[in-house]
Amino acid sequence: MKRIYLHAMPVRIWHWINAVSFFALIVTGAQIRYRDALSLMTFRTAVDVHNWFGFLLLGNFALWAVYYLLSGKLKVYLPDPNLKNFVLGAWKQAKYYGYGIFVGDPNPHHASPDSKFNPMQQVAYFNIMLLFMPLQIVTGILMWDIKRFAPVISFAGGIKTVDTVHVFLTLFFTAFLFVHVYLASLGHPWTQHLKAMFTGYEDEPESAH
Amino acid sequence: MFTLFGGRTVGKGTYWNLNSGERIDVDGTVTLKGSRADRYVKIPVAGLCIAGPLAGLLFTVVIPFLFLFVMLALLPRTVHASGASLGDEAQVCLGCHATPGMTMTFTDKSTVSVHVDGSHFKNSVHRDLSCTNCHSDVSLDNHPAAKYASKQQFLLHLASACRTCHADEQVLANPLHQRAITRANAPPCSECHGSHAIRKVPTKQAKQNTTQYCLTCHKQQLSTTINGHTLSLTIDEGRLRGSVHKDHTCTDCHITFSRDEHPDRRFSSVREVSIAGSEACRRCHIDKADQHKGSIHFSLLAQGDQRAPVCSDCHGSHAVGKKGLADTLAGVPCKNCHQEIFSLYEGSVHGKARKDGKGTAPLCSNCHFAHDVKPTMASRSPKDMCLGCHAGIASAHKAWLPNTEAHFDAVACTACHVPEGIQRSVYLRVTDDSTGLMASDTVVRNLLRTGRTAINAVQGKHIDADEVWSLYKQLNSEHAVHMSGTVGLTSRRQAHQLAPKTVAVRTCEWCHSANAAFFQSVSMATAKPDGRESHIEVDKSAIGSLYAMIPLNQFYVLGGTRIAAMDYLGAAMILGGIAVPFAHGTLRLLTARYRRERKQQAARRGGTGR
Repeated sequence: MKRIYLHAMPVRIWHWINAVSFFALIVTGAQIRYRDALSLMTFRTAVDVHNWFGFLLLGNFALWAVYYLLSGKLKVYLPDPNLKNFVLGAWKQAKYYGYGIFVGDPNPHHASPDSKFNPMQQVAYFNIMLLFMPLQIVTGILMWDIKRFAPVISFAGGIKTVDTVHVFLTLFFTAFLFVHVYLASLGHPWTQHLKAMFTGYEDEPESAH
Repeated sequence: MFTLFGGRTVGKGTYWNLNSGERIDVDGTVTLKGSRADRYVKIPVAGLCIAGPLAGLLFTVVIPFLFLFVMLALLPRTVHASGASLGDEAQVCLGCHATPGMTMTFTDKSTVSVHVDGSHFKNSVHRDLSCTNCHSDVSLDNHPAAKYASKQQFLLHLASACRTCHADEQVLANPLHQRAITRANAPPCSECHGSHAIRKVPTKQAKQNTTQYCLTCHKQQLSTTINGHTLSLTIDEGRLRGSVHKDHTCTDCHITFSRDEHPDRRFSSVREVSIAGSEACRRCHIDKADQHKGSIHFSLLAQGDQRAPVCSDCHGSHAVGKKGLADTLAGVPCKNCHQEIFSLYEGSVHGKARKDGKGTAPLCSNCHFAHDVKPTMASRSPKDMCLGCHAGIASAHKAWLPNTEAHFDAVACTACHVPEGIQRSVYLRVTDDSTGLMASDTVVRNLLRTGRTAINAVQGKHIDADEVWSLYKQLNSEHAVHMSGTVGLTSRRQAHQLAPKTVAVRTCEWCHSANAAFFQSVSMATAKPDGRESHIEVDKSAIGSLYAMIPLNQFYVLGGTRIAAMDYLGAAMILGGIAVPFAHGTLRLLTARYRRERKQQAARRGGTGR
């Protein structure tokens, strides 16, 4: 049994604030958009809560960015610059999820503090953290005060474009969340990754893969 | 009082004995000689030289002449008053006809007073005539009963008697007569001049000012007929005198008329007379007339709608009231035409405040202007007007309404501040980026009918979502335009039903829901040439259509304007996200036996399973 310190304290705090914010933002966002179908809270409450968690998410993102940039750990998000290595690595990982996992092949990737993500995770989280999250936050801020940011909104193609981008990203995040939670349950035992996100340590049974 | 008597002690001066004419010069004091019968007067020599001839002149010339003048003036009156000058015939006639209340009834049952006031006749210019000079068909021996069909016929018959003495040349010399006589329904002479109390007209008119001159006829029951419609020419003297123009003469406004000129003008309708008449106002009230030229009323007039009001419709023609009168609930002239709207206003928070005596509460002109009357728009309220009085209202809204300015831009004040039952609508408008003007109704309707692309909406049908897009493209191909959306009232009339703020909409859900009532009614607002708004119905699904993505990029109501296609995409994405774990997990369950067996085989081989 190996014990790896996989998630540093700031990362764990960031992750769970993110989790709560995502949940709150998705629920309140749905309430704002589907007032005709949902009645969980008043429109005004939904807007206010959405704004609070939006800014919490913004601050949390800043925390993540500062931590990863200053600690130099941002490289865990960066896919292998060698395209051949990256494609081979990604193919191996895809083959594992699509076939090997069913027949009992071992996971080609072993998480370590320096290499937390497999090549597929790297592509996904690289896009999520460096493209989708900033875009989601910026479009959210623009819609928070449409009059103040009117020139920017106009430059971006109008409020409807900004809204559509914001909603599209929400849909992506929501869909991804199901996959994310499912993949988190693929440890041995199934709580392995979940525990690690609380304690920081991942127990890796020598024989379990 | 200036006379002194003998025996009186007097001081320095020159004294004259009025009895003897003796002059007495006194240096110190002296006692005048004689008794009270001797009269003296104290006058300096120079004074006597002036006063003497003057007194003489007074006694010898002026007083006798004055007496003579008064006598001459009073003599005729004295003579007539005696009744002696009335002929015997007149005396006989008056024996009966002086009885007040005497009437004659004609065949058509109309009546005329046959009472003659003797004193009136005695003072008339016809006092020297006898009754039968005019009433030629009546004599002492022959006094027929009524033989005329009507009063009018009787008066016309008498008028012909006037012409016996007053020759055509004399009568027609007056332009007024020329006009009157050539008319089929010319009034009989007596209508203007009276019957038995006729005065010498020139003498009377000479003393009159122009207004009195005109009123000689125009205070009578006068009217004319234009195309079958009656135009009253009667002026109510009392109201004229009470108007703000009381110091003007008639000819100040009726400039083509004078004592000598009474032009015969021709109009095709009674309304045209009022419209032409309002030009007179412009001569003094140039600024107001210019403002009126920028008004919806003038635009309508220019388009040929003669119902549109001119000066006299609001201010009156001869009874022009004070300016402040129009600023009262009772005197505001707008209600003459816009009665229905005024009733709505009276029930509004502003109307009620006025009724309660709050003079600062707005009346029609406070929002619509008095002369430069602007058309109202259902899609927008005159926000600047509202904020003009309710200055602190923006910050009051900011206290509870997020994105207040964005709301102020897109939502008419009236959309929230009327009672709940009133219907609201969404209005789409195309604005030219360079001019800031709303798209022309003619242009839009032409494009809808004859556009290059698939715009097939015709009058009576609504604009579909794809047609919104086509329309936007075509308008944009000529000038850079942008399309925006506003929330306003379905009927602009109802904007006058402003309610107290306790009634105003304050619930976000009222608008921010796809179920919000106003999304059920969508129109495109366009500008008519006169500045009024025209509305073309738009299919309500256009708001949430993908086609609206570009044209309606600036119209966005949280929860209300979502694009329907995004809902389907979202459902697919989320179902996909859920499907991955389910499918993958199921496959793992199904293959679990295989993995277990493989593991057992490996264990049997003594391996680690790797």
